[in-house]
Amino acid sequence: MIAAPNLVTMKGLTREFTSRKGLLGKPRTMRAVDNVNLNLPKGKVTGVVGESGCGKSTLARLALRLMDASSGSVHFDGVDLASLGTSDLRSLRKRMQMVFQDPYSSLDPRYTIAQAILEPFVIQGVAQNAAQQAERTAELLNMVGLSPTVAAQFPHQLSGGQKQRVGIARALALKPQFLVLDEPTASLDVSIQAQIIELLERFQSEFGLTYLFISHDLGLVRYFCDQIVVMYLGRIVELLPNPQAPPRHPYSRALLDSTFAPDPLKRRVIEPLGGEIPSAFNLPAGCAFAARCPKASAQCKTQRPALVVADNGSSVACHHPHD
Amino acid sequence: MALLTLTDVSVTIGKLQPLDKISFHIDKGEILGVVGESGSGKSLTAMAVMGLLHLIGGKVSTGTVQFAELDLTKLTEDQYRRLRGRRIALISQNPMTSLDPVLTVGEQIDQVSLLHLGLSAADARARSIDMMVQLRIPEASVVHSQYPHQLSGGMKQRIVIAMALVADPDLIVADEPTTALDVTIQAQVIQIMVEMVRKLNVALMLITHDMGVVAQACDRVVVLYAGRLAESNSVHQIFATPKHPYTRSLIGCIPTDKLTDGELKGIPGNVPGVMNYPSGCRFHPRCPMAQERCSTEVPMLKAAGSLSVACHFSESAAS
Repeated sequence: MIAAPNLVTMKGLTREFTSRKGLLGKPRTMRAVDNVNLNLPKGKVTGVVGESGCGKSTLARLALRLMDASSGSVHFDGVDLASLGTSDLRSLRKRMQMVFQDPYSSLDPRYTIAQAILEPFVIQGVAQNAAQQAERTAELLNMVGLSPTVAAQFPHQLSGGQKQRVGIARALALKPQFLVLDEPTASLDVSIQAQIIELLERFQSEFGLTYLFISHDLGLVRYFCDQIVVMYLGRIVELLPNPQAPPRHPYSRALLDSTFAPDPLKRRVIEPLGGEIPSAFNLPAGCAFAARCPKASAQCKTQRPALVVADNGSSVACHHPHD
Repeated sequence: MALLTLTDVSVTIGKLQPLDKISFHIDKGEILGVVGESGSGKSLTAMAVMGLLHLIGGKVSTGTVQFAELDLTKLTEDQYRRLRGRRIALISQNPMTSLDPVLTVGEQIDQVSLLHLGLSAADARARSIDMMVQLRIPEASVVHSQYPHQLSGGMKQRIVIAMALVADPDLIVADEPTTALDVTIQAQVIQIMVEMVRKLNVALMLITHDMGVVAQACDRVVVLYAGRLAESNSVHQIFATPKHPYTRSLIGCIPTDKLTDGELKGIPGNVPGVMNYPSGCRFHPRCPMAQERCSTEVPMLKAAGSLSVACHFSESAAS
């Protein structure tokens, strides 16, 4: 159970997107994030899992107000992000940073690594002389386990794992309290993924950082996170304050069952989910997961289940949760 | 009886030699996992078997690739073309790029039977639909006349698997077949592919970086590192008693429920590029067990029963 105060509080957070089919088509609206209520306890790791299109990356952007919410609010350390003007928001951004999924496209190919790492200082108007810059660069590179010689190199000269270390160094440059990690290891080998997780674990305990960790890998999230949120088509379907507890929502179970254990003695037949993820533009009236759910009843097709808090503190949005 | 045997296969691209004396075999109907980090030579091995190295300016410089009665390194492109799709089929990583966007998926499966089995159009269509049904594609006859963009990623990959299976091949080479798919879909696709391969008694060379998939699906495993074979063994032995430190490290990288915070350990450093292969054992700069000898002396591949391992300390590694 988590008893830390909350650094970030999301209330009724919703983000809609509108698109039209063809030039003359009727505009259609979809909710990428739909009424999300979530607290991120200080110094803890909150994991958000789900498949593509579940809204997890949109949630990541909303959490830092890299994108405006359609409705609902995000409070960071008591401050409503939506109430801030450009310059106030910019100065608050020193305290909250993002590490992006793809280290191949999040670094400018024309910038040296030193320039990339120093850019946050430039943007924040933290003036530094050349000697301070060199010192800060070396310090940050050292922190993420890169050699100081990397400073003069360009992104194409680095491996994927090294680039992601640069992405982390840059995010840490201004000593933030809150990091949003949007699938930071999705494009890396497992060996390198484990390196990056080791690094993130170390910074979390050294600096007391709060993480919002976005991933599609429930196995990884269960290892790394202090609480887990499972999303399906924009909504939270389950919130687990204890990551090791067996999930109760059939979708969370399916996600868990989709990870094969690295043990040939534990072979099993997976009960495949039927159907496909429905289009977010055309959501069914009831539970969005009903069409694929092995436990779906008539009620599920018509009545959307609310997220209900159970005695043990976990919440699940399901008419027929597992015990 | 081995269906495919690679003996001391080296691959060169210009002056570089990214693959160095790889030897392994696949029996008829067997599922062999080929694992290693990016840059280990997994895809090059697949290309060497498929005879596609010339596309990237490479060639098999030494060694033999014996497939049934044929030495594949001796085939002309024309002979290879008759083999590919018929007796050896490929399932590539990204179904979005391995299907032609302007042809219906049905036509694309039909083509394989038209070309390789000499079937009539009607028979080819019936055969395609039968294969699609076996792969549990719902409403197969409707999907047959749909275009790739109308299908989900998981369905597209099933179409690619249908194309691979429809000419009744002896061997399928699958190069990271589910990497581009969502997790729940990945598990389904792996499961159905394995089920079909077993049912039709087709041998499968499954290239993957996912040790979970290997544990779930494979009979034997080959571990590659920096263009060399590190270890090969039965899947049970590989996971129960990995002899090469690299194999052990790879298994240790997977987050499981058994690990508590801080226990997940990455492999330090990176796979070296082909220009910077270290001397001696190529894994020595990253190896927790490395001794002086490892940096100077290339470990020979030692075989004992089902095991082959290239490590100076594989005996002490066992304990």
